[in-house]
Amino acid sequence: MNLCFSTEAVDLDNQAPNRNRRESRYFWDELNHLIAAGGFCRIEIPYEPKWDFGGRSGIPRTKRSMTTKFGTVAGYAAFLRENGITGGIACIHMNPSLFASSGILPMYLGASKHYAEEAVETAAEAGCGIVTLTATPPYFASGKLIGDGTEEDFLAAVAGVIADLAAYAGEKGVTLCVKNEYWTLVRGEKIHDFVEKLPASVMLDVDTANLKIAGADPAEMIRKCAGRIGVVHITDTAFTDTEEAWKTALPEYPPAGATKVFRDPGDGEIDFSGIAAALEETGYDGLVVFNPKDSCDISRSILRSRWFADHVFRSGATVNSAMTAKENMTACHSAKEVSGGRPEWNRI
Amino acid sequence: MEQNIRLSHMSHWKTVPYRQIGNFREFYYEDRSNNCYYMDWDRILRYHRATGYEGIELAPWDLGEILGLFGTPAEYTAFAKDHGIEVSGMFHGCNDSHIAGKHGDVVAAGKRAVDTLAAFGGKHLNTCPGNNYYGNGPLDVEGLRNIASCLDEIGEYAESKGIAVGIHNEFFCVTNRENHRQLIELTNPKYVHYCLDTAQVALMGDDLIDFYDTYRERIATFHFKDTADIGVPDEIRYDRDVEIRDDGHRWFWEPGEGILPLEELWRHMRDYGFRGWLTVEDDGSPDYLAAMALSSYYINEKLGKIYR
Repeated sequence: MNLCFSTEAVDLDNQAPNRNRRESRYFWDELNHLIAAGGFCRIEIPYEPKWDFGGRSGIPRTKRSMTTKFGTVAGYAAFLRENGITGGIACIHMNPSLFASSGILPMYLGASKHYAEEAVETAAEAGCGIVTLTATPPYFASGKLIGDGTEEDFLAAVAGVIADLAAYAGEKGVTLCVKNEYWTLVRGEKIHDFVEKLPASVMLDVDTANLKIAGADPAEMIRKCAGRIGVVHITDTAFTDTEEAWKTALPEYPPAGATKVFRDPGDGEIDFSGIAAALEETGYDGLVVFNPKDSCDISRSILRSRWFADHVFRSGATVNSAMTAKENMTACHSAKEVSGGRPEWNRI
Repeated sequence: MEQNIRLSHMSHWKTVPYRQIGNFREFYYEDRSNNCYYMDWDRILRYHRATGYEGIELAPWDLGEILGLFGTPAEYTAFAKDHGIEVSGMFHGCNDSHIAGKHGDVVAAGKRAVDTLAAFGGKHLNTCPGNNYYGNGPLDVEGLRNIASCLDEIGEYAESKGIAVGIHNEFFCVTNRENHRQLIELTNPKYVHYCLDTAQVALMGDDLIDFYDTYRERIATFHFKDTADIGVPDEIRYDRDVEIRDDGHRWFWEPGEGILPLEELWRHMRDYGFRGWLTVEDDGSPDYLAAMALSSYYINEKLGKIYR
């Protein structure tokens, strides 16, 4: 397995003191050093054209930004390698929900395809092998796109776009994956029926917290989909969606009770020892992305992720699949103190 | 006593993801940081009131989330009113207005913005007249006339709804130092007003006091902020993606923290007898709550002794 850290940890959308720093290039240049110092040599980037529209090219989240600041995408990839991210961009996440705000289905499908193709081009030029695409916008926004139509027709139209993208990605040597956040129309186990409509080249993105919130068992999903998993996202949560927040306009901000839905690995309630066991059992040897999405403290999240990777997710200590992450963290920590060894498997 | 100047604050808070956080203490303990203090409209609006503002100016890029949380503009307006805050206006951008073939689309978008603002009960549609300079400038007179024509048509429609369209000329806009006054002259004063952004005009290299004295009859409102950079060189203003600098250099500062002659301007406003909304804009600040308080103090305790 190859470990990776997602720059989706950087929250650009919500306001807290010092958010302004995140719009300038100096912040992102230094972030590479912080990620590398945390022991990660690969990054995932979220592909977010919304910053293009505001001319925020210091934020390296699109082809436009990279070419504005570094001349070419390859130039940006070289810059990353020179600054500690020696494995470069390993995954690009494209979430086209931005384009659903129009409420106009053809506009959504057209814009999604255009920018997803651009994300694939960017991946190819950066030497990145994976683009993972959020399957549908949130339930609330999807409803506006569907209008008087049916969900079945909407999903068929989306599947058509994904099939075209898969062919394009294939030409570029990039693997296309689909991601099913808990607020999509194909959340949790519903992804299985949707994937049946897609070309065999389209792989699955197993995102642990998103699956759990949607009521699916991530470890079981790994076993069931073995051989068709293109990327695994290690995300943690303590959120239980009892009030159907997934159906609201801002589903990652549950209106019935404010909470941080996505937490640093180990700070939630996911059974990661079981997930690690499932990955080992099925012989998964692909990319594992740590994504403390929208972190409250980015440096802390990088270091917490590294500690978690070394001591909890899979370590030299005995893995007890019945343990919660926090229990396992304690056990692994004790084992490490005894052995004094640092597991090398995830230092690749 | 009724004051001549009503303070509003431009909403640069980005996404405010909650309407009202009811479990504030519990939420705080999740990471024991100040993040939860900036995540709901209830508290953001309380901060406005507590720091002496009567109004809020909306950013159009936030409307999707606002309407997602509140359902309708009227619901948001009522919620704000419960906090003692009115919607004073909204920002708008007339992209592609210099292109004759885009006239219909630009005007239609402008009219939709007017309708949206009317639904929120706002009075000022502060409008960037065109695209960025980079990739579009320099403009010929025909291009300027096209922009003016769009503004006139949107402005006439806005007047019929009780809304004032005000030109808001960014320092990196396609209309710039060499022709931004010409654009004003080309528009119909009956329908097109001016929103004087004190920092933007100075960054362009124009004289703030002379500009105010020349156009005071057309200045319907302000974006009030300071700067420490007067007359930014052409190669920066005309470059790509100028507003956010790679090294984090700030173009904008809270009123009183830069070098603009704001006290002199205030005396001219007093002499002319300006009355209406003045929107403080704290974009670029690392801490909006502190910036709101700093700005409010400066206006009330320093400038307010001259005129209020």
